Amino acid sequence: MSTSKRPMSPYMLGPYYKFQITSALSILNRLTGVFMSVVSAPLLLCWLIALASGPEAFAALSVWLAGVPGKLVIAASVFSFSFHLFGGIRHLVWDAGWMMEMPQVRATGWLAIIGSVLLSVIVLGAGL
Amino acid sequence: MSMQNPLARVRGKGSSGGGAHHWRSQRYSALILLLSTAWILWLGVSLAGADYATARATMSSPFNAGMAILLAGAVFYHIQLGLQVVIEDYVHIAALEFLLLISVRFACLVAFLISAIAALKLVLGA
Repeated sequence: MSTSKRPMSPYMLGPYYKFQITSALSILNRLTGVFMSVVSAPLLLCWLIALASGPEAFAALSVWLAGVPGKLVIAASVFSFSFHLFGGIRHLVWDAGWMMEMPQVRATGWLAIIGSVLLSVIVLGAGL
Repeated sequence: MSMQNPLARVRGKGSSGGGAHHWRSQRYSALILLLSTAWILWLGVSLAGADYATARATMSSPFNAGMAILLAGAVFYHIQLGLQVVIEDYVHIAALEFLLLISVRFACLVAFLISAIAALKLVLGA
């Protein structure tokens, strides 16, 4: 709305702040959320539509999913789901007022990274 | 009494007064999704690479159909709330921001309706 030149706080990623796990995971939580919004959820919707449409549509989608682009999208979706899950749990815990000290924030950040990689590997391994 | 300059209020500056509702809605939808994690993972793993008959049989169960419709509602509501914040944060051209916000709302509503109709069709066997 305003066009006046007011001082703005610098963006969290860039030359003004040290690159650190807090800001990196914050933007990763957003990126994974946006990715699932524009890729994974529409893909799930397509799967449901194909299943409801009949065997031909379902077979066509299955063939695409079994190819390299399909596998990449599935792998990226599984990781996004896993990371956003742990990132979301962190946010809900903070909303309750817990784990707000900086050492705890960093520790839960690393837990989220390790947990999401592990969960992704388990899910992708189980689904193969 | 408001401390705000009346002109600033007319120009739409300051709090919209709706932030708490958005914040709570995002958390409630997140909680529904969190509680459904086990079902989502089970469905994804058991239907990965499944043939038509297997997938069809799974989605014909009333429980799975109900979960699918509930989750479609929570997912597309959560997506609408989340993308709204991202758009508000990064899109600073007022007309484009408005267009994107409206489009996201419309797309999420349509996506939920299609999901629900598809899930109902599968469970009712039409």
